Amino acid sequence: MMKLKKNLIRKILLFSLWSVLIAASGVVQAGQADGPKSIQLKIGTILASNEGKNFDPRLSAMKSQLNVFKYQSYQLLKEEAKVVLWKGNAAFEIPGGRSLTVTPQEYRDNRISLKVRLMKGDQSFLDTVVRLRNGGRFLLGGPAHETGVLILSIGASTR
Amino acid sequence: MESSDQDLVDRCREGDQSAFRELAARYYQKVFMVALGILNHREDAQEVAQEAFFKAYTKIKGFHGRSSFYTWIYRIAVNLSLDVQRHRKRNPIEQTEAADPIEGEADRSSSEPYNDLCNQKLREEIFQAIDELRPEHRAVMTLRVLEGLSYKEIGRVLGCPEGTVMSRLHYARKQLQEKLGPWL
Amino acid sequence: MSQTINCEGVKKLLGAWWDGELGGDEAGVVREHLELCPSCRSEAEKLERLHNSIREALKERAGEIRFDVFWAGLEKRIEEKRPWWARLADWANPAFGLGRIGWAISLAVILAIGVLSLPDSYRAWFFGSNRGRTRIESIDAHGFNVAVFREAQTRTTVIWLFSDEESNDEAQEESDSENLTL
Repeated sequence: MMKLKKNLIRKILLFSLWSVLIAASGVVQAGQADGPKSIQLKIGTILASNEGKNFDPRLSAMKSQLNVFKYQSYQLLKEEAKVVLWKGNAAFEIPGGRSLTVTPQEYRDNRISLKVRLMKGDQSFLDTVVRLRNGGRFLLGGPAHETGVLILSIGASTR
Repeated sequence: MESSDQDLVDRCREGDQSAFRELAARYYQKVFMVALGILNHREDAQEVAQEAFFKAYTKIKGFHGRSSFYTWIYRIAVNLSLDVQRHRKRNPIEQTEAADPIEGEADRSSSEPYNDLCNQKLREEIFQAIDELRPEHRAVMTLRVLEGLSYKEIGRVLGCPEGTVMSRLHYARKQLQEKLGPWL
Repeated sequence: MSQTINCEGVKKLLGAWWDGELGGDEAGVVREHLELCPSCRSEAEKLERLHNSIREALKERAGEIRFDVFWAGLEKRIEEKRPWWARLADWANPAFGLGRIGWAISLAVILAIGVLSLPDSYRAWFFGSNRGRTRIESIDAHGFNVAVFREAQTRTTVIWLFSDEESNDEAQEESDSENLTL
């Protein structure tokens, strides 16, 4: 009788332990899907051209990335940072009557999903959904401006 | 059908503790008696007997059956007993049992108290005489007199030639007879 | 026969004879001598009494050794020496009753859940690294030309938009002259 009771107690303890372990891993999963409450966005607006040979020292951290484009000159026109809530919009003014709207979609596995829209006036000419590493960035370039083209550096990180 | 010692050893090597229990049940008394014959002290002998089996348990995987299990366990028990005995000699404050009350009783219903007294006195003398033997002589006496092992088997247990066994036994008997002669 | 061995010789062999360790011939010689020699016979009887007395004395001293008590002490010793994880496994096994395969499956499930729950940076250790790589999940350039490429050295993802004819020409010149992977 005593042996049966001991066995029963052991079974209960062990199953409880398994349940806790499985539940804990589930909580971890859920926790990661929910993610942080807000995202910080950093937008850098760069003018790339073949006028002169100037490299803006403020862009030195991106030098190897910008060298891809083989322009002679790179100038940082402006840099903005904004904090935005999930599913909230962050709008950035881009030279040439353009605007960039970034909407964080999802945070999972340390990656941030962003919906990005580039407009000129009321016309949208790019809609994209990009998933990037937390703290990472990507480049969006091409729109003409003055004697060169604009390259936008779009980065996101959790707070 | 009873399992052979080798079958039990094989099962022990696979981690079957019940097999080891069966081996212990077969030999624990013999091992205890061997330890008692050398140590002449009941509690020490029990301790050594348990230790001997414990050692056998921990080393069973390394036992390859070159000798029989009982030879092996006897060897462990004898070596442990001799170690304890040598330790006692280095630390003489440890005493062997003095004339203790006899367990497993003498015939108390005897109407001859004089005989009882003589028997008790004889036992005291026996223990005293055993105590005065060197450990290796005690070992051969115990294995021969108590366990009835052959000289060859004793030699295997003690790791010595048969001739050595014979001469040690001869010497031990001679010593005991000199001490106990008047009582026998 | 008995003249071939004297009492001194018999006394030296008496113990071995008593133990049954003498060869046939030698044993026979000793036996015959004992039949004829009262002194040696008395020695043999003393030897027998010595053995019996020692045996009885030690058996009395031994008393009764109960196996259950002996085994309990031994078992405790064995248990104390086992590593803690082995004792835990022994404790858990009878109650859980799954056996080795059951344990292996359960642990595999828990491990899989654990790995899947890890942050991406750690999971890369298991599944291979895809770190830093930006993924374009969808793109709509509303009729304009667009190129997506990844710069190999810094692994930077670039979306290049050809928004008007002038930009198209520029992009054409660049792609002709440079090693840009699309």
